[in-house]
Amino acid sequence: MTKEAKKPFRQSVAEWRQFVYNPDSGEFLGRTAKSWGLILLFYLVFYGFLAALFTFTMWVMLQTLSSDIPKYRDRISSPGLMISPKPDTALEFYFNKSDANSYAQYVSTLKKFLESYDDSKQSENINCTPGKVFDQNDVADKKACRFNLSELGQCSGKEDKTFGYSKGTPCVLVKMNRIIGLKPEGEPYIQCTSKEQGMVEINYFPPGGSIDLMYFPYYGKSLHAHYLQPLVAVQLAINSNSTNEEIAIECKILGSPNLKNEDDRDKFLGRIAFKVQMTE
Amino acid sequence: MKKEMDVDDHKLELPDLEAKYSTSITKGLVGAVAAERLLRDGPNELRPPRGTPECVKFGRQLAGGLQCLMWVAAAICLIAYGVQEGQGDRGSADNLYLAIALIAVVVVTGCFGYYQEFKSTNIIASFKNLVPQQATVIREGDKLQINANELVVGDLVEIKGGDRVPADIRIISAQGCKVDNSSLTGESEPQTRSPECTHDSPLETRNIAFFSTMCLEAGPHPDTQASPAGTATGLVINTGDRTIIGRIASLASGVENEKTPIAIEIEHFVDIIAGLAIFFGATFFVVAMVIGYPFLRAMVFFMAIVVAYVPEGLLATVTVCLSLTAKRLARKNCVVKNLEAVETLGSTSVICSDKTGTLTQNRMTVAHLWFDNQIHTADTTEDQSGQSFDQSSETWTLLSRVVTLCNRAQFKAGQENIPVAKREVIGDASETALLKFAEVTVGTVSEARGRFPKVAELPFNSTNKFQLSVHAAGDRQLLVLKGAPERVLERCSTVMIKGQELPLDAQWREAFEGAYADLGGRGERVLGFCARWLPAGTVAAGTDPEALPEVAVGLCFAGLVAMIDPPRATVPRAVLKCRTAGIRVIMVTGDHPITAKAIAAAVGIISEGSETPEDVAARLRVPLEQVDPRQARARVVTGAELAGMEPGVLEGILRAHPEMVFARTSPQQKLVIVESCQRLGAIVAVTGDGVNDSPALKRADIGVAMGIAGSDAAKNAADMILLDDNFASIVTGVEQGRLIFDNLKKSIAYTLTKNIPELTPYLIYITASVPLPLGCITILFIELCTDIFPSVSLAYERAESDIMHLKPRNPRRDRLVNEPLAAYSYFQIGAIQSFAGFTDYFVAMAQEGWWPLLCLGLRPRWEDTHEQELQDSYGQQWTFEQRRYQQYTCYTVFFISIEMCQIADVLIRKTRRLSLLQQGLFRNHILVIAIVFQVSIGCFLCYCPGMPNIFNFMPIRFQWWFVPMPFGLLILIYDEIRKLGVRRHPGSWWDRELYY
Repeated sequence: MTKEAKKPFRQSVAEWRQFVYNPDSGEFLGRTAKSWGLILLFYLVFYGFLAALFTFTMWVMLQTLSSDIPKYRDRISSPGLMISPKPDTALEFYFNKSDANSYAQYVSTLKKFLESYDDSKQSENINCTPGKVFDQNDVADKKACRFNLSELGQCSGKEDKTFGYSKGTPCVLVKMNRIIGLKPEGEPYIQCTSKEQGMVEINYFPPGGSIDLMYFPYYGKSLHAHYLQPLVAVQLAINSNSTNEEIAIECKILGSPNLKNEDDRDKFLGRIAFKVQMTE
Repeated sequence: MKKEMDVDDHKLELPDLEAKYSTSITKGLVGAVAAERLLRDGPNELRPPRGTPECVKFGRQLAGGLQCLMWVAAAICLIAYGVQEGQGDRGSADNLYLAIALIAVVVVTGCFGYYQEFKSTNIIASFKNLVPQQATVIREGDKLQINANELVVGDLVEIKGGDRVPADIRIISAQGCKVDNSSLTGESEPQTRSPECTHDSPLETRNIAFFSTMCLEAGPHPDTQASPAGTATGLVINTGDRTIIGRIASLASGVENEKTPIAIEIEHFVDIIAGLAIFFGATFFVVAMVIGYPFLRAMVFFMAIVVAYVPEGLLATVTVCLSLTAKRLARKNCVVKNLEAVETLGSTSVICSDKTGTLTQNRMTVAHLWFDNQIHTADTTEDQSGQSFDQSSETWTLLSRVVTLCNRAQFKAGQENIPVAKREVIGDASETALLKFAEVTVGTVSEARGRFPKVAELPFNSTNKFQLSVHAAGDRQLLVLKGAPERVLERCSTVMIKGQELPLDAQWREAFEGAYADLGGRGERVLGFCARWLPAGTVAAGTDPEALPEVAVGLCFAGLVAMIDPPRATVPRAVLKCRTAGIRVIMVTGDHPITAKAIAAAVGIISEGSETPEDVAARLRVPLEQVDPRQARARVVTGAELAGMEPGVLEGILRAHPEMVFARTSPQQKLVIVESCQRLGAIVAVTGDGVNDSPALKRADIGVAMGIAGSDAAKNAADMILLDDNFASIVTGVEQGRLIFDNLKKSIAYTLTKNIPELTPYLIYITASVPLPLGCITILFIELCTDIFPSVSLAYERAESDIMHLKPRNPRRDRLVNEPLAAYSYFQIGAIQSFAGFTDYFVAMAQEGWWPLLCLGLRPRWEDTHEQELQDSYGQQWTFEQRRYQQYTCYTVFFISIEMCQIADVLIRKTRRLSLLQQGLFRNHILVIAIVFQVSIGCFLCYCPGMPNIFNFMPIRFQWWFVPMPFGLLILIYDEIRKLGVRRHPGSWWDRELYY
C-alpha cells in the first residue's frame, strides 16, 4: 500500500532542470542572482578575513623563528647515514668492470659530489685541530673546517678517475646527515661488514674509517655556509672469485655512544646497508 | 482490503444455518466431523502476526540511510585499497583500516540498536497472557469441556457470564446474555445478545457474539425464581483468523509500516552528504588530473575524498541519542519499540485518540443526579478527591436507599481494605457504578441490605426495562424500582421534593423531561429511581416475580441518576497541552456520537464555545443543510456518514473543522481517517487499545498502544506503548520527541563540522603537495573516539524555549539538516577549524625546521622512501623515518587543533538562537564531563608511550595545544554574533542564511 508511486523519471528530470535554472523566478541552483551575489560576497568577506588572520599568524610565527637555528630538533636526535653515489633504485650497485658505461653514472655522481670538496672551493675553510670538537658558539662568523680530498686516498678520484670501478675496487662514500648542534662523543668511525665472509676486502679512507670530531658541530646553512660534511670512503676490493655475486654490505657508525645505530624502525639511523654486484 | 465484513449468518433461519454448517442445534457436531474440520480449518486461534525473523530485524538495523552510506564508503575504501595494492603503493593499508572501521561502526551500532529493540520487545512480550482458554461445547449431545482452540465451525457452544467468547458464534438461545464488545468496537456499553436478527450489519446485530469479546457476569442469583441470567448457546460460524477479530488483526498486518519522519530526515541528510561528497570528489579529481597526477592516482584521491565526507561517528551519535531518549521515556511509562519512533511523537501534528480507556477511565461512574428538581454533580475523579454534593435533603435519603437496595451487584469478598473505586464487583457496569457510588456516599451497602432483607425481586429485562425488588423494613415493606426513566415515570404518581411527596403533575413531568434530556444530552446513561412503602405482607416471600409489576404502581419518584465513563483526570490538561503545542486531537471511537461528543467536550477536544453544525442549526433554528460549515469549529461524524462519503470529502471536512469527533466507526474507517489526515500532510499518532484499533495503529506514523488495557494485537501493531494507559504520557512523549529533534540537529551540526578540517588537509595535500597534515587513523580517532561523547552529550541539552508552545514542525520545511546548517557547519565553522589546524601544522613544521614555503611542493621527495637525506630549511638532513615521525607529529598537532576547536564547537551548539550565557555554560553537566573526557583522551593519545607506532600519535610540544585556541575563541565569538543577529533581526537575510 505505497502511498504514492515512484515519480516518473521524466518528472524528476524536469524537477532537476527546474532546480538548475528556474526561468519563472530567475533562480539558478535555488538562488536568484542577487541572492547568489549576497552569499558569495559574504563568503568572500568571511574567507578574506580568515585568510588574513591566517597570513598574520603565519607572519607572527615566522617572526619568532630564528633563521639560523630551528626552534626544536625533536625528531633528529641522531643522524642518518647515507652513501654516495646513490643508485636510483634501491641501494644496489650493479656494474661491469670492463664496461665503462655501466658505472659512468656512479663515477659522474662521485665526481660531482666531490667538486665541493675541491681545494679551490675550500679556500675560506680553515685547518682545524683534529680530534677536538670545533666549538664556535661565541663566534659570529662560523668557520668551516677543511676536508682534504687527499684523505680519501685512492677514492679521492685524483689518481683513479673511475674511483676504482674499472679495477673491481669500487669506492663508496659514506657520510653522516647534517644535524645542527650535534656533537658526537668518543671517537666515531665507520665500519662496514659484509655478511658473506671473504668475498670482499674493505679499505677505509681516512684509515680506520674515522670521522674527525673537528667537523662538529654544524651551525646550519645560513651561519655555516661553507660547511663540508666529513666523508669516509669505503673501498671494496671484491675477490675475483666473488664476481657476479651479490654482496650485501652494512656500514655502521661506531665508537660514539650518542650516535644510534641499532634503531628497530629506522634502518638508516647510524647505519646503511647496500648491495654490490660486479660482473666482468 | 477495506471492504466491510461479509457475513450473512445472522440473517439465516436456524434450519438453514443447520444445513449450512451440517450440524444440529441441539446435539452439536459428531466428534469425527469436528476432528475432520479441525484438520481442515486449523486450530481456532489467532495466528500471531508473523513476527519479523530476528535476522531480518538485525538486517534492518544494518540497512538504514546512514548505514548504506557507510557500506558504500567501505566498498570504495576496499576498491581504493585494491587499486593501491595493485600499484604497489606503500602505506595504503590506511584504506583497509578505514573500510574495517566503517564496517565495524555499522555492525556495532546495529547490534546496539538491535539490543535496544530487543529489550523493549521483551517488555511488551511480558504482557502476553498465556493461559489456555476453555470452552463448553456440545458434541453428539454431550456437554464437553475442551480447549477453545479445538473448536470448529458448526460446533454448538455454551457461554456464560465471565467467559470470553471462544469463536464467532451465532446465538441460538440466550438468557440475559450481555457482551462487552469494547475490544472490538471500543464501546464500553454492554450489549445484549439474543437470538433475533436486529440489524443488517453483522457487527450491529444482536445474534452474533464475537471471538474474544467478554460475556459479562450477571449479578448473583439469590433466589432461584429468576431465570439463570447471562448464558447463551450458539453455533460457531467462524474460527481462528476467519473471525471478525482475526480479520481485523490480519488487516493490521497487511498495512505497511510508514517510514518514520526521522528516517526520512536522515535519508534527506544522506542525500545532501552524498551530493556534496561527489561534488567535492569530482572537483578534486579534475584538479588532480589537471595538476598532472596519473588517472589511477586521481581516482584514489576521488575515492578518498568521498570517504572523508562520510561522518563515521554520526550513526553512533544518532543511535545513542535516540536510545537515551527512549530510556528517558521508558522511565515516564512510554516504551518505544522502534528507536526512531522516539522522534516521531515530536513531529506529530494530529493525534487520533481512541476514547475508551485512553481518554476515559474505562469504568462507569455516577456523574450526575437529579432530585429536588436540581441537577447535582457527583465526584467522578479516579481517587474520589473531588467535591461532593449536598446530601442533606430527605429526597436524597430515599434515592440513596433505592440505589442501594435495587441493585444486584455486590463486591467480591475480602476487599475491605481496598479503596472502593478499585474493588472488584460482580455485576454489570451500571450496577457496579451504582454500587460503588452508594458505598462511597452512603456507607457500607451490605449493612444497609442486611437491614432491609430482600423479599422478592424482578431482574432487569429488555421488555420491562426496569428492575424492582421488595424489601422487609420492620413493620412495612419497601418496594424499590429502577429502570429506563420513561418507564419508571409511567409507574409513578407522586414525586418527592425536599422530603415532601407531591403529586406528579404536568409541571413536574416537564421538569423531569427537561432533566432527562439534559443528562441524556451529556452522553450519560440515565436511570430513574422510585419507591413505595407497602404494608407488611403485601408481597410474600416466594411470590412469582412476574406478578410483581402489578404491585409496582403509584410509586413515588425519587430521582434520576446519570452515569458515564468519565474522562481521566489528567486528560483535559494533556489535551490542552497538545492544543498549545499545535497538535490537533481527534477522537475516533466506536461509541455513540452523543457520548463521544460529551466526552470530547469534557476533555477539551471540543473546546468551550465550539459548536457543531447541529448546534448551529439548533441555535439559528435553520435546517442543518443551510448551516455554513465554517461557522462550526467542531463536528461529529458517525461511521454511517463516513461510509456514504465520496473520497476527498473527508479531507475537506478535516480541513474545515479543527475539532473533530468520529463516532461509531469501524476499524476500516479508522484506517481511512488516519490516511486522510496523512494525505493532508499531517504526521499522525494513533492511540488505541482494542483489536479494532490495530490497523490504524499500524498505519499511523506512530501507533501508541495501551499497556494495561491494550490487546496483544494493538501492542503488536504499535510503535510505542504507554505502560500506564495515560494519555498524558503522550504529551511527555511529544515533548521529548521535540527536544530530541532539536538536540539531534545540534549533535549532527557538531558532528558534521569536523568533516571539513578532516577533509581540507587531504585537499591541500593533493593540490599544494605538502606533507600529509592529517592521517586516516587520526581521523577515525576523532570521529569514533574523542568526539562521540560530546556529540551525545548534546542530547542532554535543555530546550532553548518552551517547545510545547511551538507548532509541530512542518515535515516539508523544517528539516533535520537544512541548507543553512550544512553551510554554516561546513563552510564557516569547519573553515575556521581548518585554518586552526593548518596554522598549528605549519607552526609545528616550521619550528621543527620545515618552513611553510619549503613545505609547498615537498610531498614527492618527502614521501620518497629512498630519500634518506632530505634537507630542511636549516640544511639539516632527515632520514625517511625521521620525516615520518615528523608527519605523525603533524597529525597529532592537527588532531589537537580539531579537538580544541570542537570544544568551542560543542559549546556553540548548545544553542541555536539563544546566547550561551542565557542557556548557561555549565548547566549541562554531561557536556562538561564530555569535554573533560575529550581532553583526557587527547592527552592519553598524545602522551601514552607506544602510541607513535600503534596509532600514529606523537607526544607533541605543550605550546602546540595553545596555537588553535584563538581560533576556538573566534568560533565562540563569531557564533555569539550570529545568534545575536538572528535574535535581533528575525526574518532578515542574516537570519535566513545563518539560522539552522
